Amino acid sequence: MYRYDEIDREMLADRAAEFRAQCARRLAGEITEDQFKPIRLMNGLYLQLHAYMLRIAIPYGTLDAAKLRKLAHIARTYDRGYGHFTTRTNLQLHWIKLRDAPDILDELAQVGLHTIQTSGNCIRNITADPHAGATADEVDDPRVWAEAIRQWSTFHPEFSFLPRKFKIAVTAAAKDRAAVKVYDIGLRLHRTEEGELSFEVLVGGGLGRTPYLGPTIREHLPVRHLLSYLQAILRVFNRHGRRDNIWKARIKVLVAALGAEEFARQVEAEWEASDKAGVDLPDTELARIRAAFAPRAFASLPAVSSIFEAARSEDRAFARFARNNVKPHKIPGYALVDISLKEPGETPGDCSADQMDLIADLAQRYSQDEVRNTYEQNLLLPHVKLDDVPALWRALAGAGLATPNIGLVSDIIACPGLDYCALANARAIPIAQDIARRFADPELAERVGELKIKISGCINACGHHHVGNIGILGVDKKGEEFYQLTLGGSGDDDASIGQSLGPALPAGRVGEAVDQLVEVYLREREGPERFLDTFRRTGLTPFKEAVYADAHQVA
Amino acid sequence: MKALTANRLADGEVVFWNAAVWVERFGEAELFADEAVAEGAEARAKAQVTMLVEPYLIDVEPVAGGFAPVSYRERLRALGPTNKLDHGKQALGGAEMDILNQAHGAARSTGRVNLIKRATAASG
Repeated sequence: MYRYDEIDREMLADRAAEFRAQCARRLAGEITEDQFKPIRLMNGLYLQLHAYMLRIAIPYGTLDAAKLRKLAHIARTYDRGYGHFTTRTNLQLHWIKLRDAPDILDELAQVGLHTIQTSGNCIRNITADPHAGATADEVDDPRVWAEAIRQWSTFHPEFSFLPRKFKIAVTAAAKDRAAVKVYDIGLRLHRTEEGELSFEVLVGGGLGRTPYLGPTIREHLPVRHLLSYLQAILRVFNRHGRRDNIWKARIKVLVAALGAEEFARQVEAEWEASDKAGVDLPDTELARIRAAFAPRAFASLPAVSSIFEAARSEDRAFARFARNNVKPHKIPGYALVDISLKEPGETPGDCSADQMDLIADLAQRYSQDEVRNTYEQNLLLPHVKLDDVPALWRALAGAGLATPNIGLVSDIIACPGLDYCALANARAIPIAQDIARRFADPELAERVGELKIKISGCINACGHHHVGNIGILGVDKKGEEFYQLTLGGSGDDDASIGQSLGPALPAGRVGEAVDQLVEVYLREREGPERFLDTFRRTGLTPFKEAVYADAHQVA
Repeated sequence: MKALTANRLADGEVVFWNAAVWVERFGEAELFADEAVAEGAEARAKAQVTMLVEPYLIDVEPVAGGFAPVSYRERLRALGPTNKLDHGKQALGGAEMDILNQAHGAARSTGRVNLIKRATAASG
């Protein structure tokens, strides 16, 4: 894992000290809320419905035990004993006191964590494939590049006041586990026919009020030019992005307005005119970062583990966990193990301080001191020996962390919604809880198979509803919580934006509607089709007929 | 009918105005029948910059057993999140929470609309 050097550590300490002084001035009344608000937001501190919320960045979703234990300690000491993992691989604490915030930043800085650039119109936390360094289908470790971007973009003077926030995701695998098509910039690392590492650059994806899948503006960017090319994209955005209307200020609107071809032309012109060498990463620096992500020392093990196989044949519950939560590793005898934060009835993405401590212990014991968090609001241990998976599973099961539902109907993404968020129009969590309970029977969930439900409590789409196989958007309709359903979205390789099913439904009808949609799928599906495949073949009609069969139920 | 609410600066706690004192329970909030009096209190609250963040007036209506905010958002602020019933003010229990929980209907909080617009501009 990348370790902060002396410069990073000083920077974090300085920043925490500065914020301490700013908080003191605010509490003493020397500065007003209007003056202070931008400062606290720049330190990830929002005011929500019940308290302050602190958003902590987890760069490329990678944690070690020390970091996770620190998050547990903070959750226990300064919050209510839990944290909420988000779709941006951040951790949010929902019950923070302003007077504690400086102490929390100090505590975070001790382990190289911070809240910098988790708010505001700047380059936000960089996300990457959570399988990085462990999957056989990647051409490089994407975190090397994500870390390079993190260093380049942190406190970048030219890009600290963009027209709007800016999010970058990196993957180096054939399978997209980082949702790169719905990011401001999505980077896909691949090898050219000549064997050179190269980026495919997608720009202008995004969700929110106007969802777009990002078009590719360059098929092959030599990796050594990554930073100068990013600079060129951001310069075009900074120059021409709209600043008059918050809903039209994201880069996706600029790319759509200009057209991908014209946007690409402007980026290329800017890039050609720029001093590339002055920006691009020197080979020595790249090598230094790369060393931090050097492949682990793996044991030489047989590809098949007799311990794992015996557990699988003896215990049906373990076999189910192995089917759904254990993924192949690039090294024989190892596996990636998903830890679901979606136990039916619980809040998606929530993790208690005790659970965090346990996962930290298990990461040290079984996964070379590494934990990842995924944009689907789960955690995973990336380097587990197959021999150890049964013992790991037992330890997880004892803490409510072995729900075997990764990618299944109860593995629901949900934003905090109106239960916490000052922007939300409707609640998201209770809708997720209701649906997950309906599919709490693991046999039923497996029979339904892959079905991604994503719920947002407002049009800002933190819950990625546009790319849910079933997307659910909470709206305020004449003062009541209503929910618009969309079908056929996907945030994966086969990305697509969902289509509206019909008029919005009252809260009490949503779970039942999901049941009806699943019934139609089970009736209509052919062979090994997933929900998404069946929907793409049949279209909306059979689903719509089932949900809106009784016209009087339509609001 | 109106009540005056805000979040307390130092800890973010939801508070309500009662005769120039800030209380934590909605059941103890002063209810204003006279809009001018309510606006006077709001103006005084806005001057308390070391105490509060964003004071605003909310609509309140009579319900079975007492009074409740008209808006669902404001009832949530007065109660706590519905996914964790042991968090927020609802954990204190009492008849007041039952009254709030039994209130029906939801409306966008009139007082919050402008705040939300401002928050949207800065958030994400």
